[in-house]
Amino acid sequence: MAPVTLHHVKKNYGDVAVIHGVDIDIADGEFVVLVGPSGCGKSTLLRMIAGLETISDGEVSIGARVVNDLDPKDRDIAMVFQNYALYPHMTVATNMGFSLEHRGASKAEIAERVKWAADILGLVPLLDRYPRQLSGGQRQRVAMGRAIVRNPQVFLFDEPLSNLDAKLRVVMRGEIKSLHQRLGVTTVYVTHDQVEAMTMADKIVVMNGGKVEQIGKPLDLYDRPANQFVAGFIGSPAMNFVGGKITPNGFEAAGTTLPLPAGVTGGNAVYGIRPEHFELATDGLPATVLLVEPMGSETQVTMTLSEHKVIGVFRERVQAQSGSTITVRPNLAHVHLFDAATGSRIN
Amino acid sequence: MQIALYGLMCVLLIPFVFPTWWMLTSSVKPISDIFAFPPDLWPRRFDWTTYAKVFELQPFGQQYWNSAYIAAIVTAGTMIFSSMAGYAFARIKFPGSNFLFTVVLLGLLIPSEVTIVPLFQMFLGWGMINTHWPLILVPIFGAPSVFATFVMRQFFIALPGELEEAARVDGLGRFKIFWIIALPLAKPALGAVAIFTFLHSWNLYLEPIVFISSRNMFTLPQALTQFTDAYGGAMWNIQMAAATMTALPVLAVFIIAQKQFVEGLAHTGLKG
Repeated sequence: MAPVTLHHVKKNYGDVAVIHGVDIDIADGEFVVLVGPSGCGKSTLLRMIAGLETISDGEVSIGARVVNDLDPKDRDIAMVFQNYALYPHMTVATNMGFSLEHRGASKAEIAERVKWAADILGLVPLLDRYPRQLSGGQRQRVAMGRAIVRNPQVFLFDEPLSNLDAKLRVVMRGEIKSLHQRLGVTTVYVTHDQVEAMTMADKIVVMNGGKVEQIGKPLDLYDRPANQFVAGFIGSPAMNFVGGKITPNGFEAAGTTLPLPAGVTGGNAVYGIRPEHFELATDGLPATVLLVEPMGSETQVTMTLSEHKVIGVFRERVQAQSGSTITVRPNLAHVHLFDAATGSRIN
Repeated sequence: MQIALYGLMCVLLIPFVFPTWWMLTSSVKPISDIFAFPPDLWPRRFDWTTYAKVFELQPFGQQYWNSAYIAAIVTAGTMIFSSMAGYAFARIKFPGSNFLFTVVLLGLLIPSEVTIVPLFQMFLGWGMINTHWPLILVPIFGAPSVFATFVMRQFFIALPGELEEAARVDGLGRFKIFWIIALPLAKPALGAVAIFTFLHSWNLYLEPIVFISSRNMFTLPQALTQFTDAYGGAMWNIQMAAATMTALPVLAVFIIAQKQFVEGLAHTGLKG
């Protein structure tokens, strides 16, 4: 186990800058998730930590060592790839013991470590099989087994669950998390799925356009997003945004005035409210129902506040029909306001 | 419908099967029976002495060995060089790699007849005329190897990059990645290359008649033309016996490696 530090890390491909000076401190044993939309640079950053991409500027440290110029094999990391990257012509056992074999470990040690990892991941019956004889979930477990067998300082996961179906993804999510809790190895995990990020991370790094938008604990990011991008990215369904102006009477948007928390001042802004922070209230704002989607435990209603399309999620079973009017009220304790020009949080 | 289809296929098969059948049956016919009219599809008399005469009239065993060992070396050499070159063109980024590969491919456009005289002069200068070196070196570094490099490159291009990256993380350098990871996965392509190269070397005719002059050094295609009587007339039945023995290894190689051959071509996107 070791801490990982990224200090002002940059990556350029020719004249094109794809990572613009990233600073991240990952504590020893921490599970950090890099999350962001496709093309935001999260996988590139992970590959820079792994040594699979060169670092144009800045420093990457693992433990006390700056690893910028070290080969991947010398960084004491293990990586799980999106497509598992199992060697097709080797059995599960050979795949798992491969790195140890090429680092000069004895056969007895390799056998012992492979058995240890196989026991943890339930792979013992599969050790003599080839990757083509395994299901997606089993391949994923073998990839994890290959990573843990060497007992590295850092685990790197590059969207490891994206090839699995939704049900298996939930199962494997739990397995990865419990594996981390058991082994306590520092883990950097890349995903574009904010649900994965929220459920697995000790700390989330939200990236966009090669920059870090916010670093924090999952619920901190959810409750107090630093800017409109993070607010929109974290949470499903996404936060509702309404553009308008902060006035003494409230938040004036086209055709409607939304209530504001006390003490807020400013000019042009974006009003953010998460779907579950709308409440059904007789003295609320009139909203025209577009679509009602009962989920069982809650009801998701797509509606318009004047001309603004928003989504509300209610614990109550809303019986409204499409085209009918309901009255809703934003929970003022959970209203987020962002600067219209910069997108930064202002409340 | 299916019967009609099979019937059509049988008819289409005749031009391919008949020459082989004629070769096999003619190899055990007396020479007069070969020219009998109407021709006999099944020999009226069997004359197995033709096979013995092949070895009496020529040092056929030596010539067989010449062809075999030359084809084996050429095949092994081409597999080694083309797999390494194909891997380099496919997986190693270096300036001008595409241009260089195009230049290499241009070698396929030059007919061997065009280069045979300069090659003769070059090997003459090196003192290699009437040795087997030209028959080994020309295919390994010439057009057959270029084609093999192309086949290997097409295969390696399709190899997932993550496999190499995983191997790098696991502690392998470039050559070990090639040797331990990429090459074992390239068996179908290597199989195709091996068959192509073996057949090309086995059937090579122009180069042997240019570079080789003594009978003991002949390869089989060259030797086949030598079964003539005192007046220069072909001894057809003996020639057919020699041709049958010449064709057998080719058939054997193809039958054994047929599956890999087809898989290899499928990976390159080529259809044979």
